[in-house]
This record gives sequence, structure tokens and C-alpha cells, in this order.
Amino acid sequence: MSSCLLRTTTVLIATAVLLAAPPRVRAQTEGQESEGVSSADIAAGLADPTHWLTYSGDYSGQRHSPLTQVTPRNVRRLMPQWTFQAGTFARGRGFETTPLAVDGVLYVTGANNYAWALDARTGRPFWEYRRTLPNDLTYGSSAPVNRGFAVLGERLFMVTLDAHLLALDRRTGGVLWDVVLTDYRVGYAATLAPLVVDDRVIVGISGGEYATRGFLDAYEPATGARLWRFNTVPGPGEPGSDTWPNDTAMARGGGATWMTGSYDPELGLLYWGTGNPNPDYYGGDRRGDNLYTNSLLAVEAATGTLRWHYQFTPHDTHDWDSNHVPVLATLDWQGRERQVVMVANRNGFFYVLDRVTGELLLGKPFTATTWAREIGADGRPIVLNEDGSTGCLPDQWGGTNFNPPSFDPKRKLFFVNARETCASFHAQPETQVVPGQVAAGGMVWVDRDKASGALRAIDVTTGQIEWEFAYPTPTMAGVMSTASGLVFAGDHEGNFTAFAAATGEDLWHYQTGASIWGAAAMTYMLDGRQQVLIPSGAALISFALGDD
Amino acid sequence: MRRTLLIGAWLLASACACSWPAGAAELVNPYEGDDAAVRAGSGLYAGRCADCHGADAKGNRGPDLTQRWAVGASDESVFTTIRQGVAGSIMPPSSAPDNELWAIVAYLRSISVVPPLASTGDPQRGRALFVAECEQCHRVGLAGGALGPELTMIGQVRSREALVAAVRDPSAAVALGYRAVTLRTKDGPRIEGIVKSEDAFSMQIMTTDGRLQGYRKSELVELTPATESLMPGFSVERLAAAALEDLLAYLGTLRGPAAELAR
Repeated sequence: MSSCLLRTTTVLIATAVLLAAPPRVRAQTEGQESEGVSSADIAAGLADPTHWLTYSGDYSGQRHSPLTQVTPRNVRRLMPQWTFQAGTFARGRGFETTPLAVDGVLYVTGANNYAWALDARTGRPFWEYRRTLPNDLTYGSSAPVNRGFAVLGERLFMVTLDAHLLALDRRTGGVLWDVVLTDYRVGYAATLAPLVVDDRVIVGISGGEYATRGFLDAYEPATGARLWRFNTVPGPGEPGSDTWPNDTAMARGGGATWMTGSYDPELGLLYWGTGNPNPDYYGGDRRGDNLYTNSLLAVEAATGTLRWHYQFTPHDTHDWDSNHVPVLATLDWQGRERQVVMVANRNGFFYVLDRVTGELLLGKPFTATTWAREIGADGRPIVLNEDGSTGCLPDQWGGTNFNPPSFDPKRKLFFVNARETCASFHAQPETQVVPGQVAAGGMVWVDRDKASGALRAIDVTTGQIEWEFAYPTPTMAGVMSTASGLVFAGDHEGNFTAFAAATGEDLWHYQTGASIWGAAAMTYMLDGRQQVLIPSGAALISFALGDD
Repeated sequence: MRRTLLIGAWLLASACACSWPAGAAELVNPYEGDDAAVRAGSGLYAGRCADCHGADAKGNRGPDLTQRWAVGASDESVFTTIRQGVAGSIMPPSSAPDNELWAIVAYLRSISVVPPLASTGDPQRGRALFVAECEQCHRVGLAGGALGPELTMIGQVRSREALVAAVRDPSAAVALGYRAVTLRTKDGPRIEGIVKSEDAFSMQIMTTDGRLQGYRKSELVELTPATESLMPGFSVERLAAAALEDLLAYLGTLRGPAAELAR
């Protein structure tokens, strides 16, 4: 590699605005009974600097903190404060969680359905929870991960590899209630961080590699009673059923909902991505667009009613799930203020949609994908290489994946870890479908010599890449940005790196010792000091500024 | 082109590729000899088996798996053991898809003892050839260099066909950990070596004289990956067929430290 720094555009840093703002410190609650987390606290997002109360920090999915104590000028003084080691073998996958921060305590979920409450000052545990899992897990045996808690009042909410939803006592880790989402033995699991919206706990499901049917659920926080379910693949005669050839294909049609969505409180709409149709690679038995797979859904939080949908990859045969964190923002769009939702998709395209109507405003490739290079006037991709049996398409992990992006509303830059890969897809009809056994319908061949990664900053008004920072290999690490003009991202080799948001210059990095995989950083104030935390492998590492 | 068959429950599975008629006499691994499946199996092994059987499969809490075929096991019996577990032991049954288990079997087979290598050559002449041409970079027993892979057990773990290919055209497939690079610091000479590890900010190499040296990329003024292996290709002109037979005969005797030391 001749250079690791590939930047296409450089923007000057407005240093005058990068002075650290005085930290707002909430009254500490050491030794006091906590009053609990309210719906209003969650809706306030990151306004309280001591809080990180939901997976993305707030409902917008921007993962952009208003904190400014750590700046491009001083980030070189960032020092590890403590490391927490899970002490559990993750069977190839480590922490993919985003811890929640509440009054000096971090609430963390880990692999194999372990969970902890940690002292944010020391990393020492208050309690550990471990679920006794059955020995015949299906999906959960191959990806035994968890991406985080949700919190409301004194309850923590967590999904499990055997497809349950739990409420834990925030003070003890004790189980308050335990409800079944669905039968894991068919091929389901649950791994996402639930999303608390008012008085509902919203959860999705994993399982698109098995002959399953996806859904999105809402549960009552006090009791675990189910309030509504939206099936992501229609039933016979329902809207969208005309995009499937028959009822059999729909019944196992996939469309999993395995990543946490976003929420617009004013519109009352949830924005949630859906996964691949099943079987993944063989589409011969499911001709049609296969709604609502590989889509973004706008669903009424109160009722579970679908308001609109946009399908990124019609009739997908490449496992390009659209299970991303949708990013909500208000943009000046060609002279008109628009409420938008943005997605950098596994199919290699970056999208901006009007989140009120679902209208497509922008769709531009952010990778070198040869599957398609433009979106047609009808909002559908103009596909150049459909089946991918020859040539070089993004692999089944896609141009990016579930690893969260971030968005800097001031700079109008969307930061995403992009993957450049070369794969060919070889579909095979299935002779039989066995419940509880993977049914992907083919194979993928990946050319490892043609793989690389890059952190890219996308101008959301044009789709142009403003700058990038190249990695030797594709990464599955997430991104977080801060109002001080920093972007924190991980990579597959284990570096946790701080970049200047304006230019992409790498300002500081720390070798964590394991791939940062699926996880993104979070940040919060503790005792007047900004903490920056990154999960890596089986460890959580907390950083803060050291002395000059 | 090196290709990797990626296998994982969330990636793919194809029961059809691995199915067989009920009551068939012998199950055949559909991935036998498939290098991509072997690499995929390696990853699956590391995630699911290495904790008990060791990262090199030579045993830890569980038994050494590299000797299974040498003591009479078949692909089918290993597959069945993984599927069913071992009653009364800590070895659990597996519900993973068939193709994942077959990939693990293919991987274990690839690192296991292989039948004695058949060659018409003279191992003594082959040994002399090895000392003259190979030993500078390849270690056998206590002697030899470190730039190339150690070959003390190569006769156990590589087939004749694989060895011929590696000798005649080593650049066709350079293993990770043996790719060559040329680099230079601002004030230093040009340095050639093999890449042991790399990230966005640094590179760890073994120089051609066998030193382990790490570099920060920010301090390099040149960093050029090589397209060829550092090992020269031994074409027919350079190594006649008869001499290759001698070399193969010697390599076939390399079946472990004890065998080498006893000679």
C-alpha cells in the first residue's frame, strides 16, 4: 500500500468554534436512590450530558454527541481510564453493544446473553446476569451476540438468543418478566437493542437465513404484554402479497428486523430496516419484488400500522439486508426544509428520503459497486449485474453493514465505514426446507485480494464523498461523531481512531488488541470529564483526557 | 486468485450440496480438497472448537485432532462425532448445518497426517538438495532459516501434489504471513521482508535476514508490496524432474520432530 491516507477534499477547520464548552454536570447520585429513567428523559436524547439512554444516544440515530470537551486540538491526550473484560468466550464475536449510561452506571449486554451493570468510574461490576440458554439454539448459535439494553424507569429490556424479551431490575439484574417473542427452534433469534418509545418497548427479530417470516413488535413495559405486531412479509391477500408468487414463499419470506430503528416523536413514526428475503441467494421460487424485504419501513408507533415503505433492493439475491440504523435529520433541500431519513445501504448506495412521505430525494453509490450505478426515475435501481454469478459484486456483507454510521448536522456530513469487496454469487435451488436449519440457497465466493475498507464522509446534499481514510481490510466497526468536530471510528485491525470531521485527518489512535466489530463508540460526562467508550473484542475500554 | 468460501449460519448454507441418500454406505465430504472450504472450516474451528482442542488442534482439554485419520478415522466418522458429540464427555453435540461441519472436517483433514508420500527419488540426494537450495529460508528440526514456513512436519500435512505446486510455482499462492514487501524509512536503506501483520498505521515484518521489525507507516517514504513470493520458482530448467523426485522423497520423510532428530 503506497499510502494509508486518501483524501479527496480538504476543508479547513474552523478552530474558533472548537473551544471546549464547560461541561454540564448533573447532580451526582452516589449513594442515593435513583429516580428512574422517564420517557421524557429518553426523548430528550443527549441533552443531559451524563446520559446515553438508547442505542444511538437519541431517537434520531445520528450518534452525534453535543459534547465538546474532547476536541481536535486536545484529542491526542485521550488516555485509557479502565478496561472491562467480559471473561466469556464469544465464539468469534465479541461486544457489539452500546452501553447505556445512567447516573454513573453503565448497563452493558454481551455475547451469549451475559449482561452487567458497571461502575462508570472504575469499570468494576455491580452485578452480572447470565441467561441459561437451551442447547439447541438455531440462529443464536452462529451469532451469539447482543447489541444492547433499552431502559425505562427501573427496568432494563434485553432480547435473547432463544428469542425472548426480558425485563431486568436495573439495581440487581434480576429478571422481572420474561416473554416469548417467537419459537427459536424454527430459526429465530433476537440480538438487537430494544427501543423504548413512550410506553412501548419496540423489538425486532433475526432469522432471515432460515425459513422464517420477520416481524416488528411492541410490548408493554410493566408486564411484557404484546401491544401489536407488524409482519414484514404480508399474509395472503394483504397489501404487498402480489410481489410474491404464492403463499408458501411468503410464509418463509424473511424480512428480519434485527437492528434498532429510529423514531420521530412529532410524526409518531418508527423507521426500521428489514432484511433479506429467504432463501438468501436463490430467487427462483420467490419471483417478484418480495415486499417488504430489504426495505425501510415507516410504522406508526402507536398502532404498528405501516405508513410507507421504500425498498432499496427489490428481489434481493445477495443477502443485502437493509438492517441499518436510519438517520433522521432536518435539511435545507433545494431551498425547502425537508424532514429526511438517510441510509447508507448494504447494496452500496447512500439514500436520502423524505421521512414524511417516503419520497426518494437522493440515491448515489458510496462504494465502487458494479451491481448498479444509479437509481432510476421510478426510484428503483438500474441493475447492471443482477445475479452476480460472474463479475465482481459487493459480498454478502455489503458496502457497509449494521455497524452504525454517524451524522454531523452542522457540516452536513454522513460518516460511514465502507467496504470494498469482490464476490460472485452461486445460487442453488433447495431440495427441502427443514425448520431450524439454515436455508440460504447457494454460496458466495469472495476474492480476498480485492478487499479493502475506508471511513468515508458523504455530503448528504449531493452524495459526493468529501474525504476518506483507507484501511487495509474491510471493517465492520461503527462510527460516532461529536460537536467538537471529531469522528471516532474503529477498524478490523483493532485501531480506535479519532479523525477531524472537517478533513479526515487522523488525529489520535489506540490499538485495542481486537477487531472492533459491529460496535460503535458512545460518550458521556462523568464528574466533569468527557468519557469516550469503545467496545472491542471481549473488552470495553473507557477513555478520557489526561494531563497536558 | 484466492477465493474464500464463507460459511456461517447467517451467510449461507446449502443442504443440497451436502445431502446424501439415506442408507448410503459411505458419506463423502463434498468439500474434500476444496481450499476455500478448508479456510472457511479453519474459521469455524477457531470459533467453536479451539477452546477445547487447541488453536493448532493438537489438543488441550480435548484430544489431539490432527491424528484422527492416522489412527483409522474417516471423514464420515469425524463428521458424526461432531454432530453427535461424545457421550460422557464435555464434547457437546452440534446442530450446525451439515456444510459447516463438512468444512470443519475438511480443515481438520488438511492439517492432519497424510499418507506417506510416494516418490521414486532418493531421500539422501534430496536432503543434500534441500540443504543447498532451501535450508536458508526453511527450518527442519533445529536447522534452517525462518523466512519461509517451517517444514519439520511437511511430509505429514501436505500431499505430493501440493508440494510439487509449491516448489514449481510458489508465487501462485502465497500464504498470509509470507507476502513480500519493500519499504524505506526517510534516512534508512531500502528493506525487503515479509509482512507478518499490518494495520492502518503500522506494519510488522521479518526482514530477509530474519529480524523482526515494526514500522510506523507515517515514518516510511516507500512501501511497495511485491507481487511475487520471495521464494524463487523451481522450474524444470532449474530443477529437473529427477531432482524434484529426490526432493519430494526427502520431504516425505519429514513427519515430525522425532523423525527428524532420529535420522
